[in-house]
Amino acid sequence: MEKIEYDAVVIGGGLAGLMSAHEIASAGFKVAVISKVFPTRSHSAAAEGGIAAYIPGNSDPNDNPDYMTYDTVKGGDYLVDQDAAELLSNKSGEIVMLLERWGALFNRQPDGRVAVRYFGGQTYPRTRFVGDKTGMALLHTLFERTSGLNVDFYNEWFSLDLVTDDKKVVGIVAMQMKTLTPFFFKTKAVVLATGGMGMLYRHTTNSYINTGDGFGIALRAGAALKDPEFVQFHPTALYPSDVLISEAARGEGGILKNVKGERFMTKYAPKKLDLAPRDIVSRAIITEIREGRGFPGGYVGLDLTHLGEEYIKERLALAVEAAKSFAGVDAFTEPIPVRPAQHYYMGGIDVDIDGRNPDIVGLFSAGEAACVSVHGANRLGSNSLLDTLVFGQVTGRTVVQFLKSNPGNPTSNYEKEAEKVVDDAYKFVKSESGVHFGQILEKLRDTMWDYVGIYRDEGGLLNAMCEINKLRGMISNMYVIDKSKVYNTEFFNALELRNMLDLAVVIAKSALERKESRGAHFRTDYPDRDDNNWLKHTIAYLRGNTVEVTFKPVKITRWKPEPRVY
Amino acid sequence: MAQSQEEEVILKVKRFNPERGFWWAEYKLKVDKFTQFTEALRRIKSEQDPTLSYRASCHMAVCGSCGMKINGEPRLACKTLVLDVAKKYNNNVIIIEPMDYFKPIKDLIVDWDEFYERMFKVKPRLYQAKEVLEGKAEHRLKPEDQRELWKFAQCIWCGLCVSACPAVVIDQQFLGPAAHAKGYRFLADPRDTITEERMKILIDSSWRCTYCYQCFNVCPRDIEPVTAIKKTRSFTKLYKDKSEVAEIGERHIEAIHESISKTGKLQEAEVYVKAYGVLQSLIDLVYMSGAGKLKYMLVQSKPVQNIKEIKKILGGE
Ligand SMILES: Cc1cc2nc3c(=O)[nH]c(=O)nc-3n(C[C@H](O)[C@H](O)[C@H](O)COP(=O)(O)OP(=O)(O)OC[C@H]3O[C@@H](n4cnc5c(N)ncnc54)[C@H](O)[C@@H]3O)c2cc1C
Ligand code: SF4
Ligand code: SF4
Ligand code: FES
Repeated sequence: MEKIEYDAVVIGGGLAGLMSAHEIASAGFKVAVISKVFPTRSHSAAAEGGIAAYIPGNSDPNDNPDYMTYDTVKGGDYLVDQDAAELLSNKSGEIVMLLERWGALFNRQPDGRVAVRYFGGQTYPRTRFVGDKTGMALLHTLFERTSGLNVDFYNEWFSLDLVTDDKKVVGIVAMQMKTLTPFFFKTKAVVLATGGMGMLYRHTTNSYINTGDGFGIALRAGAALKDPEFVQFHPTALYPSDVLISEAARGEGGILKNVKGERFMTKYAPKKLDLAPRDIVSRAIITEIREGRGFPGGYVGLDLTHLGEEYIKERLALAVEAAKSFAGVDAFTEPIPVRPAQHYYMGGIDVDIDGRNPDIVGLFSAGEAACVSVHGANRLGSNSLLDTLVFGQVTGRTVVQFLKSNPGNPTSNYEKEAEKVVDDAYKFVKSESGVHFGQILEKLRDTMWDYVGIYRDEGGLLNAMCEINKLRGMISNMYVIDKSKVYNTEFFNALELRNMLDLAVVIAKSALERKESRGAHFRTDYPDRDDNNWLKHTIAYLRGNTVEVTFKPVKITRWKPEPRVY
Repeated sequence: MAQSQEEEVILKVKRFNPERGFWWAEYKLKVDKFTQFTEALRRIKSEQDPTLSYRASCHMAVCGSCGMKINGEPRLACKTLVLDVAKKYNNNVIIIEPMDYFKPIKDLIVDWDEFYERMFKVKPRLYQAKEVLEGKAEHRLKPEDQRELWKFAQCIWCGLCVSACPAVVIDQQFLGPAAHAKGYRFLADPRDTITEERMKILIDSSWRCTYCYQCFNVCPRDIEPVTAIKKTRSFTKLYKDKSEVAEIGERHIEAIHESISKTGKLQEAEVYVKAYGVLQSLIDLVYMSGAGKLKYMLVQSKPVQNIKEIKKILGGE
């Protein structure tokens, strides 16, 4: 197998990965970015609403970073590590201004300063935005910037597995997708910035490529995931493509209606109605659909028609455009078909406030793949883009420190291990018959949606465990029909499925363990938050077929838990 | 609300791999009025034929992965609904092919390397003043400048415009519509410091576009690359080190202006001779008559009636 050597290797070309790579390269180290898509096609491009930031002299005069931390901690239902949330808030202004200097075209106030808008859960407005395509604007800016530095990009390369020696990173095996050639990237430091995992669920707002590869890679290498049971669902994803319809649509007066034309939120949240928090609205919609009051196909209507064409055009242009392009629906005259969908993963690779994984020396993680944790049990809107940049930068700097204090090359007999990584991957291609990835994939997505979704209970979760274990058994029987040696997407889909299954079993098991309801994790058999027993992080390892669950305290600095009411 | 009634369609996909060459595959599936082509392809791949290869990521027209030819038109598969196309062509058989111009790698997946090379040629990044970069100075951007630049910054590198552009195929030195959109976004940024170098990269190339507006028609983000090219051309007068193409281009524009202000019409033949000179025109004439295009050059037309109005619009005389 060919070998190539780097000081550090970053897996992922989204915002988090590029920011880490930028820091490592700027310090003069040799760094590679491996991404299974050309960087600007990463999921970060899809973020619309904005990025939260307190900018001194450019924010509400009453606001300050402490309010921002408080909002984040409360939004996360107190499972947030408060020191990390403080860092996030304190660095927010600086990081947004940095991106601005690099050329990000933030919307402006008339005086030329960066403009600001209000987002859910904020005491004062502090979200910065670029039209309705903030993620795309930031991702392109950062990619353009990074591609001007001395960074080697391996685009459309698929990372298979880490190679470690005595709990130390020695490298990572990746494969060029165009040619199916495997390479061993010898390195002392690996940053996993592989993003989220939406494809585990039947319905998701995420990109097709969000298959949770980094979680699978970390778990197989023996690293833990933190808080894997916390999966965020967004109530209004467009039917059937699950393109996100922003919360703004309800903020501006949109009303949710079932097939009988009833405004059903009067039953579930008589005071807040359609503007109740994301998790409550999601649960209401699912109940309507399950009890037969959804439209055929399984969705409800988001009615804007009473707002009048002028108003809708002015305030909700994007929702109208999405409804038109992706569902062929005219939002001026008919309700937009919506249903809840998986949206964000609060859980992730266990890292400390510096982005360092405690299990494996030389393993780092940032962005949605990581759990620092700043989002706790429930992420606030526009905090995630901020997380990718702030902790992307912090993690990159930690890697630089790590490289400075560990000079020299990793020494290890990696060859046999690297060969084994490739052999394991090729197992799917070699068998002559069996099931193909689609059969297992669709079952997995249904299982996760039905039993490890918005509503959970013991029976359902046990059911899910049993089903996922069965699917994990079937995977050894999986085969790839396509024997082509060029850009064999079926082969890579099969490898993604392996990652998804390794993650799914960990999520289901952790959800089964947490016997309370907190933020996005809702147990019908334990409907209340239980701070006495459960104000702690789940730490989960995957050892072969068993999931080992332990716990870790939440870091509390200044904000004592209080009920989460708005 | 519209019901999601299903209809059966047949997707005829042009497939390719280097071992086997090209072949056609047909897939029958039921879709409803909401189904995007990316979702149709995803279902084919997971339910019928896992060997079918294509690119897709965001399914919301922001990542630029899913460009392909659908019934002959270059489109984003995610931004196109299956039944809309069936209705438009009044045919439930729909033909899907890889984008033109790009080299095919596997089925609908094409090689983008050369496209990326052109994009990087225009130095697609802001070169800020040092003090601003170090945070010692703040450079405020006027809201109207932000709007102007944002229009061209929204290019998602999908390559549809390049696959539709006739000039990029025949002229190696033409950077192509996408690279020009990107290049202009930085050329026009008042905060950028390498304007002279950018002009050197962009101006000659900008005169190689044929103004056919194909890029304008196919761009899914309404970037109007041809507008970026037009605006880039207007920098020519500021640029000292003009290439021959740029000089010819400028003469061409002057000639058009003159022709229109005299007659109210574009006298192609006259413009041509003025721009390229008599000798070159005669040489080209020989080629064009061979290509059957001569008739366009020899059309004689009378001046239009309201020539005064036209002169007013042109601001001349
Ligand atoms: C529709 C939508 C709208 C959103 N809007 C907002 C918003 O307005 N504000 C906000 O703050 N947040 C928003 N979010 C959340 C936010 O966009 C994401 O959390 C964030 O972009 C994640 O960035 P990342 O860098 O961690 O990962 P990503 O951008 O997902 O990048 C992951 C990278 O890893 C690579 N990769 C993955 N697996 C492999 C592998 N096996 N081998 C090689 N490479 C691999 C991919 O190629 C990719 O480059 C939104 C999310 C969605 C779904
Ligand atoms: S107008 Fe110019 S850039 Fe656009 S397609 Fe035609 S030749 Fe190409
Ligand atoms: S200019 Fe438009 S069509 Fe061309 S690559 Fe950019 S987004 Fe695509
Ligand atoms: S899938 Fe992203 S543009 Fe179509």
